[in-house]
Amino acid sequence: MAEPTESRRPPLRLPQDCSIAAIRGVYDLIRDAFSRQDSLEIDCSSVAKADVTSIQLLLSTAKTGQARGRQVVLTAFSQSLRNTLRRAGFTSEAMAGHPFNEKKDGEQWPPS
Amino acid sequence: MSSIDPTEVFRQEAAELFETLEGALLDLCQRPDDRELVDSAFRALHTIKGSGAMFGFDKVAAFTHEFETAFELVRKGEIKPTQALISVALAAKDYIRALIEAPESTDSIIGDAILDDLKQFVALPGTAAEPGQSAPMPQAPAARPAAHAGWRLYLEFDSHILCNGSNPLDLLDDLCKLGSCFAVPVIDGIPMLEELEPDHCYLKWDVTLHSDCGRAAIDDVFMFVQDEMKLTLAPLATQAEAAAPEVALQIEPLEAATVAEVAPAVEAAPARATEAAAKAPAAAEQRRDEPKRNEGIATVRVQAERLDELMDRVGELVIAQARLTQLAAAGSDLSIKMIAEEIERLAASLRDTTMGARMVPIGSLFGRFRRLVHDLSRDLAKPVEFVTSGEDTELDKTMIECLADPLVHLIRNAIDHGIEDSPRRAAAGKTENGRIELTAVHSGAQVLVTVKDNGGGLNTARIRAKAEEQGLIAPGATLSDHEIHQFLFHPGFSTAPTISALSGRGVGMDVVKRTIENMRGTIDLATRPGQGTTVTLRLPLTLAIIEGLLIRVGGGRYIIPLSAVEECVELMPEHQRSRGRNFLNVRGNLVPFLKLRELLQVPGSPELHQKTIIISTGESRVGLVADQIIGNHQTVIKSLSKLHSDVTIFSGAAILGDGTAALILDVAQLVAAAQAQSEKQIYEAA
Repeated sequence: MAEPTESRRPPLRLPQDCSIAAIRGVYDLIRDAFSRQDSLEIDCSSVAKADVTSIQLLLSTAKTGQARGRQVVLTAFSQSLRNTLRRAGFTSEAMAGHPFNEKKDGEQWPPS
Repeated sequence: MSSIDPTEVFRQEAAELFETLEGALLDLCQRPDDRELVDSAFRALHTIKGSGAMFGFDKVAAFTHEFETAFELVRKGEIKPTQALISVALAAKDYIRALIEAPESTDSIIGDAILDDLKQFVALPGTAAEPGQSAPMPQAPAARPAAHAGWRLYLEFDSHILCNGSNPLDLLDDLCKLGSCFAVPVIDGIPMLEELEPDHCYLKWDVTLHSDCGRAAIDDVFMFVQDEMKLTLAPLATQAEAAAPEVALQIEPLEAATVAEVAPAVEAAPARATEAAAKAPAAAEQRRDEPKRNEGIATVRVQAERLDELMDRVGELVIAQARLTQLAAAGSDLSIKMIAEEIERLAASLRDTTMGARMVPIGSLFGRFRRLVHDLSRDLAKPVEFVTSGEDTELDKTMIECLADPLVHLIRNAIDHGIEDSPRRAAAGKTENGRIELTAVHSGAQVLVTVKDNGGGLNTARIRAKAEEQGLIAPGATLSDHEIHQFLFHPGFSTAPTISALSGRGVGMDVVKRTIENMRGTIDLATRPGQGTTVTLRLPLTLAIIEGLLIRVGGGRYIIPLSAVEECVELMPEHQRSRGRNFLNVRGNLVPFLKLRELLQVPGSPELHQKTIIISTGESRVGLVADQIIGNHQTVIKSLSKLHSDVTIFSGAAILGDGTAALILDVAQLVAAAQAQSEKQIYEAA
C-alpha cells in the first residue's frame, strides 16, 4: 500500500448522493484520499442523500484514522446528513462525539 | 514433550469465562434480583482480570478492572442491573474478548466509549436501589404509564439487509410512531475501512420505547424483516418480576443470541409464554437449577467444517455398509445377513440425521424477498405479484446464505428491466399486475432455483448492439441467441440507458454468475419475447447422499437419482426396432425414450430384454433404456474432478459395495444433450 505523500490538501468534499446507491463510489473516494493524505478533512456540506451506509462509512473512516494515528475531521454537516444521524440515534454529544475528532472552527461533529 | 503456549491456555480459559459471564448477564435480564447471577458474573470478571494480568494481557486487565469497578455497584446492590446496563456490559464483554482474541483489530476508543457508557449508567440518578423498592428501571418520567412503562428492544440486522432494500432508519421511525422512543446506536461492529463492505449493515440499536402499545404493534413494525434480524424484546416495567407471567413474553436474550434463526423464536414466543406462565409459581424455587437444566436443551453451534467431516465419515460408513451387504448376500449365514440389514437401517438413519443437521428449508431465504418486491414495486410504480413455491426444498445452509445476493440481483432485474410498466402491459394485452415466481425444486442431485417473470423478455437485438458497441463481438458476427444472452453476465455489461439505484452498472449479473459458479452451479437463461424471462440456477447438493437406482448399460454401472424415477417398464422388441424418434406407449401415453447404449456410446449388442426407466424432467417424462436394473442404492456422491467439468451428463460418481465406481446420471442434462444431438442430426440430414 502506498505511503501517504502529502500532509495538507483541500478538504475532501463528499458528493450529493452518499446513499447505498452510490456508497461504493464514496467509499473508493475516501479510501483513495486516505491512502494519499496524512490527515483527512471531509466536507459534508453537499450531502443531499444519506442513509445508514453513509453513517457507517464515516464512522469507519474515523475509527481507521484513530487506529492509525491520522487525523480525520468531518465538517459542515448538511441538513440531510444531520437528519439521518438524528434518525439513527446520534443525538447526544457524548455518543456522537466519540468516534470523531472535532474541528475548532466551522461546523463539526457532533452537530449543534 | 508438549509445549503448551500459556497464552493459549489463558485464551481457552477466558473463552469459558466469557460463556459464564455472558450467560449470567443474559440471565440477569430475566432475574435482575438474583444475587447468585451477579456474583457469578463478578467472579468471571475478576478471574479474567487476574489471569489477564498474569499472562501479560495488560490492556485486558486494565479494561476489566474498570468494568469490574462499575459492576461492583451492582454487586453491592447500589444499582440494579437494568436491560440497558446489561447491554453495555455485554458490549464490554465483547470488547474484552476482542482484546484477547484479536488485539490488533481493537480500538481503544471503543473501549473508552463503553466505559463512559458504563459510568453514565452507574452515575444515573434514581438507579440506586432503595430498600424494598422493586422497580429496577431508571427513573421513569411522570407521564409514563405506571402499569406498563414500555419496551426495551435490541435490534441487530443481518449484514445484507440494506442490499435487500430494507432501511433500519425507516423501522426506527416506525417505532417512534408508537411512542416516545430513544434509540442508542451500537457502533462496536463497525470495521476498519479495509474490511468495510459499504453496503452491509453494521450498526445495531438499543431502543427504549415508552409506550403502552402491545407486543403485536412492535412485531408489526418488523414484520417484513423478521427473518433478517435479531430482535430482543423485553417489557420495561416487568423486568424485576421474574416469576410473573408477563416476563415470559420476553424473548430470552440467551436464546436470541445462540439460536441462528431468531424469527421462529419470535413467532414461538406466545406459545412459550403460555407454557412459562403455567410454570411461573414454581419458577422461584427452580431458578438456581435452571442453567444446568437448560444445558441439556440448548442449541449448540457447531462449525460447518465439523459437519462436513461428519458427513464424510457417514459417507465412508455407507460405502462400507454396502460392501458388508454385498458380502452377506453372497454368503448363506442368516445371522450375518440380519446384522447387515440392521447396519443398513442404522446407516440410513444416521445419514438422514447428519444431512438434516446441515439442511435448512429454502423458505427461510424466500421470505426476505417479499419486502424487496414490495418496495421495488412501490418505487417503480409497477404492481407486481410475488409468488413462491418449493419453500420446503432443503439446501445446505451455507449455500442458502450464498444464494441471497444472486437472488436479490435477479429479482431486481426482473422488476426493473423485465416487468413492463402498466401502460405497456395494457398495450400488450397483459394483466396490470406483473408476476414474479420464485421456485425451488429438487431435480436429481441438484436443486433448481428459478426466477421467472412475465415481462417483456430479453431484447436480444439490444444486447447484441451493446456487445458490438463495447467491442465484445465483431459487427455482424454469427452468434446464437443463447450466446448473445451470455453477454449479460459479462462484467460491466448493461443495456440500461441510465445508471439508477437499482441497475445500470452492469455489476449485478456478473455477481450472480460468479457466485453461482463458486457454488459449482450453473445458470440457464430462457426468454420469450413479450412473455418473460426465466433464470434457472442449478445448484449441486453438496454433502449429498441420495437414494439412487443402480442400472447396468453394457459393462458399466450407472446411478439414476431415485427422486427422478417414476416407474420401470420392459422395452418390447418392436420398440427396439423402431427408427427415428422412439416412443413408448405407457398406458395410452406416448413417452419418448433414449437408448443409453447409444448416448453413452457403449459397444456391443444390447441385451434381448432391455428395461426402460421412466424419469420425469420438469414437466416432461422420458424413458431411459438400460440393459439391467440392479436395484436401489444408497449413493454417496463424490464430485468429479475439474478435468471432467465439461462432462455435463454426469453429476458425480459413487463407490459401490465391491469397490468399483458408478457414474451418476444428470438426467436433465442427459435429456438436453440427447435433444441437442437429435436436432443436430436432423439439421445435418436436411
